[in-house]
Amino acid sequence: MAEVRYEKASRIYGFGAVGEVRAVNQLDLDIADGELLVLVGPSGSGKSTALRMLAGLETVNEGSIFINDVDVTLKPPQERDIAMVFQNYALYPSMTVAENMGFALKQAGVSKSDRRQQVEEAARILDLEPYLDRKPKNLSGGQRQRVAMGRAIVRSPQVFLMDEPLSNLDAKLRVQTRTELVDLQARLGTTMVYVTHDQVEAMTMGHRVAVLDHGVLQQVDSPRTLYSQPANLFVAGFIGSPAMNLIEVDRSGDTLSIGTTAVPLPDDVSAQIRSSDVNTFVVGVRPEHLGLTDDGIPASVTVVEELGSEAFVHTEVAHQGGTLTVVVRVEGETNIRRGDSISIGVAGPVHVFEAQSGIRLGASA
Amino acid sequence: MSNAVVDSDAGTTATSRADEVKRLERREGWKRRLPILPALIYTIVVTQIPFLFTLFYSLTDWRIDKVEPRQFVGIENYTSLTSETEKFFRDAAWVSVQMTVMAVLFSLIVGTLLAILLDRQFFGQGFIRTLLITPFLVMPVVAGLMWKTQMLNFNFGIINWLRNGVGLESVEYATKHPMASVILVLVWQWSPFMMLIVLAGLQGQDQSVLEAARVDGASTFGIFRQITLPQLRPFLELGTLLGAIYLIQVYDHIEVIVGGQPGANNLPFYIAQRSIGGGNRFGLASTYSIIVVIASIIIANIGLRVLSNLLEDDS
Repeated sequence: MAEVRYEKASRIYGFGAVGEVRAVNQLDLDIADGELLVLVGPSGSGKSTALRMLAGLETVNEGSIFINDVDVTLKPPQERDIAMVFQNYALYPSMTVAENMGFALKQAGVSKSDRRQQVEEAARILDLEPYLDRKPKNLSGGQRQRVAMGRAIVRSPQVFLMDEPLSNLDAKLRVQTRTELVDLQARLGTTMVYVTHDQVEAMTMGHRVAVLDHGVLQQVDSPRTLYSQPANLFVAGFIGSPAMNLIEVDRSGDTLSIGTTAVPLPDDVSAQIRSSDVNTFVVGVRPEHLGLTDDGIPASVTVVEELGSEAFVHTEVAHQGGTLTVVVRVEGETNIRRGDSISIGVAGPVHVFEAQSGIRLGASA
Repeated sequence: MSNAVVDSDAGTTATSRADEVKRLERREGWKRRLPILPALIYTIVVTQIPFLFTLFYSLTDWRIDKVEPRQFVGIENYTSLTSETEKFFRDAAWVSVQMTVMAVLFSLIVGTLLAILLDRQFFGQGFIRTLLITPFLVMPVVAGLMWKTQMLNFNFGIINWLRNGVGLESVEYATKHPMASVILVLVWQWSPFMMLIVLAGLQGQDQSVLEAARVDGASTFGIFRQITLPQLRPFLELGTLLGAIYLIQVYDHIEVIVGGQPGANNLPFYIAQRSIGGGNRFGLASTYSIIVVIASIIIANIGLRVLSNLLEDDS
């Protein structure tokens, strides 16, 4: 049971003539006891590096990391009381499943009989009992993943670190294991830091989700808030599937128009636009907040993705002398086909960002 | 009636079809075999036929310094190996065993240590690796000469110069410690070979497995013993096997460094002495050769099994 705190922690590569690259830049993050925090971002965002800094596998060049208010910045991994699950599971190939799971206990000097007992208990939780005497190479992908989990939970560590542990599983198994993992974490009540590039995984698993881009923390919040009030343009585009429609608009006065149709804006946003000296903004609307109306934005349909309960209609809209693609969600069955002309209306919240800086206008979380 | 005719027709078509498939498969097989046939024939001509001749000679009393034609003597040469007159053969056999085991073992240890040092990032890594490999690239005769005249020599050798420097007497290494001198040079030449094999094993390791072991609380030595060493096993086995095959037939180093003194004559050297080297006893020397072949196969097998068990038991 532990709290984790990053204080302005940075990982810097390549000093000197080459110029420095900040893989993780001044990360400030508080993780509560028993929380499941997900670090999410595209590849190269520094999410794995941030996790490895907590594990002690990467040097922290600036700032500090605390576990339970103890500064572990300079401590080697073995003194941090953490357990990590790697993307490729990193099982010890020459050892059996039982030896793999008991390895950490053996290093800690736990007696053979205690070890056996704890390993068997973990194996029972993870349905690994029939495989205890097998070598990793004789296990399926899903079983290996569970052994890696077992190796972590058998030690009852302060913090679980998960580095994309599900990305090597097939889609169906991934969804199933995801649920099991959330359940397991809730039962054990152990703090967990979970890294993924998959925003669906992040949204479904995390108590809170931290979004990183280019080593910088963009926003950390509950999945719901991330979705409804993205702090900036990056988070708006990254969270949600299919992605939010992001339309660059030059203002005329305090109104923003898609094509020739003015977008309805909240009063505080209009006020901010009026007093701003920025000219170009980005209007963001999620596909489910657009609908079909009689006198909205004229659009022609290019692709219809039919999912049964809903359909995503990809359309082309004339806007500021060019065309742009807008995706509209339509509930239930639809008769819309490629080539149809439809009319789109805004039927929900609209997000507005400054185009250059990406900062959100109006109320933020 | 007409049905029966149709059936038998179908039957014949089916068999001829199966024959056709078989014919095509045979042709495919020959397409694969034909290109290696010349190499196979060549290998048989230059290795297996001489081996059969050696086997035949070992059953005769052939010596080329006598005019009498060679006589077939059955297994007499083999039974005589245990007699008093063949003491030198048994000595040479024992030298061969000691020399091979020690040279393989020490070069494996030195090679592994060098490989561990090389298996990390540092400036000039490639250059140092090349330097460390050079002993292996030196011709055996040259290596022997170099060590004899420049390192081990009683009057001019660097080792004795160093001994004198710290107030110790010079030692005539090649005379006093003939086998140790030869083993020293063999280890110097063969450590780079072992280093390369072990290095391949070290660099093939999954880094995240080592990281997992660190997170699990293992010490650096603990990681090496419990994770790295078991993974190196096939590489150590390969090194042992190849090393033993080459080192059991060492000749040049012995000829150059100790040149026939008792105490460092191994079997290949003794065989040469007894046949082309002036002994002229081709029948007997052939018998020795056959024994070497059999012994090599046995030693290589035992070596592999011992090493396997050693690493298997560690848990």
